[in-house]
Amino acid sequence: MAIKAWSSVLGGFHRPRFLRHALRDVEKGTLPLGLEEELLKVATAEVIGAQLASGMRYVTDGMLDWHDIFRPFVEAWRNVYPDGLLRYFDNNFFYRIPIFRGEPEPSKPILAPRVRAFKELIEPAEMKVVIPGPLTFTLLSKNESELPKEELAKSIAKALNMELKEAVEAGAKAVQVDEPILIDPYLSLDDINIIDDLFKVLFEGVDAFKILAFYFGVPKKDIYERILNLNVDALVLPLAENPKGFLNLVKEHGCGDKIPVLGIVNARNIYDDDYQHVKDLVKESLNTLKTEEVGFTTSSWLDLIPYRYSLRKTTILGKYSEILSKELGFDYINPLKII
Amino acid sequence: MSGFEVPKKFPTTVVGSYPKLDPAPEVLRRYRKREIDDKELHELIKPAIKEVINDYLWAGVDIVSDGEQSREDMVVYFAERMKGYTVGDWVRIFDNTYFRRPVIYDKVEWKTPMTIEDWEYARSISQGRPVKAILTGPYTMVEWSFDLHYKDKREAVLDMAKVMRREVEEYLKRGVKYVQIDEPALSTRPWREDAELVKEALEIIFKGVSAKRIVHICFGRLERILPYILDYPVDQFDLEFKNSNFRLLPFLKEYGFDKELGYGVIDVHSLQVESVNEIIKDIEKLMKLDIIGPEKVYVDPDCGLKRLPREIARAKLKNMVEAAKIARERW
Repeated sequence: MAIKAWSSVLGGFHRPRFLRHALRDVEKGTLPLGLEEELLKVATAEVIGAQLASGMRYVTDGMLDWHDIFRPFVEAWRNVYPDGLLRYFDNNFFYRIPIFRGEPEPSKPILAPRVRAFKELIEPAEMKVVIPGPLTFTLLSKNESELPKEELAKSIAKALNMELKEAVEAGAKAVQVDEPILIDPYLSLDDINIIDDLFKVLFEGVDAFKILAFYFGVPKKDIYERILNLNVDALVLPLAENPKGFLNLVKEHGCGDKIPVLGIVNARNIYDDDYQHVKDLVKESLNTLKTEEVGFTTSSWLDLIPYRYSLRKTTILGKYSEILSKELGFDYINPLKII
Repeated sequence: MSGFEVPKKFPTTVVGSYPKLDPAPEVLRRYRKREIDDKELHELIKPAIKEVINDYLWAGVDIVSDGEQSREDMVVYFAERMKGYTVGDWVRIFDNTYFRRPVIYDKVEWKTPMTIEDWEYARSISQGRPVKAILTGPYTMVEWSFDLHYKDKREAVLDMAKVMRREVEEYLKRGVKYVQIDEPALSTRPWREDAELVKEALEIIFKGVSAKRIVHICFGRLERILPYILDYPVDQFDLEFKNSNFRLLPFLKEYGFDKELGYGVIDVHSLQVESVNEIIKDIEKLMKLDIIGPEKVYVDPDCGLKRLPREIARAKLKNMVEAAKIARERW
């Protein structure tokens, strides 16, 4: 039977110029409050359109209004505050450190309203929501609460679980959990030991396709082994940025029972990725990973390159996935071709 | 020049950038729109530099900077002034703030002095206080650009080092006393091979340089790269401590650190002004470990102050200087 293949951009997009300016003008008080919401919808429709036109099976809303992956949750939860800036992994991009002064208490949902607002626009593709993983959230925050780290992490997982359940109820078909901290070579065993419990809490009662993503590097072997035991359906392997590292990992450890989602398009440079190189990587990976299904994605979010390149990389992902599938005999799912 | 002398113990300094003061924002806006050229930029920016220097003098900082008032960004500024670069498109740094990440499209080469004019002006009004020459390091320049030419990081970084070396030569002709190379990107990639590449680059930049040679690195897991950088050809490491809660201190002890230290005691990402007492206690943390003597400790903020409101930046510097004075009595 042919391998089933599909594609999906990993996460958020860069903001288009008109939205950047609108947000700036709101801050300056020169644009009526609320108008930026309308412009956000227009911008979101644009990135959704780009994903649909490129044949993505799972589509995100682009998270264009998120200042960083944690912020919408930090702002919607009581007992958490955004503080100073800190560099986000090896990027010249900074996130605001969440400060926890107690258990997070959600005051409003973040994902579900977005799903309701955009799911019709996304049809016939399916909506994917993305959240920061509870381990990354905990370790990149400052804990000023009286809770031990493990307890705080669990309470974060619980709050995120509520988000996911509501998003799925609203119509999200896929949920992606981003745990970039897993690539940290200094991640301690104590920290990784809590991840199984966190994921149990996180996914309790969540009936959707579950994807785990990590990026900006390659996890250590012992961490990767632990990752393979987590209760997710699919695992993102961002090949494009570290082909050797990931090929070694999958050759040695495989991908367990997870569906591999291969990050074939480099989301942090502005080159057009070399097709032959991508094809060789996919062939080599799939020679090792005996799978009935494969996903194709970008190596990280598309928010770290200029807007026009984030659209171009989306097109490249779609085109390459389709051509690859044709050449390698995969059964490629392009939702737009169904109709 | 007046007879100002830098204190022998705990001299105070700054890492470089300062909040953009009037008329810098408007001048930079006009420059971006090409309404004024480079020459006009440096002329029109002078009142802002004067304000920065006034703040430093008011606070009592010993070794100052021009506040990087002409620099829209630490990478873009240099990229616009050397061969081999083209203007990039906007990418986000944080929140809704962006920089035009430049694109290397050809071999990078030095064209003309890039930073001298502002530095000379700052020096002319600093009442004898030395003004640091501050350049973005070659590794950071390359890491934070898009590279469409080299496709080999080492080659790009070493070519970039030659550009910066040429700029340093301009300073040496003018009698510079302190040259600082900023390499914040290094701490985000704490790998031996990257640290060694930076060392090669610094060897190019600092070869035969008699001025104080400083490298500034901040925000990241500095303890991871420390073992790889101790033999850099520099006199001083200027490092961030406050923001990371002085996590690095025991590692300095462990690795037998014996160079001069730019000791970051001001958190540039926090609006809370550190009190004099708090800063003294933070200096005490270092002195207690008996790693280096007070003559090797330069008290300064973790990094540039550009993201802070001016009043906060001033207040932080004032307290830092006060604390250094007390430290001089104590140690």
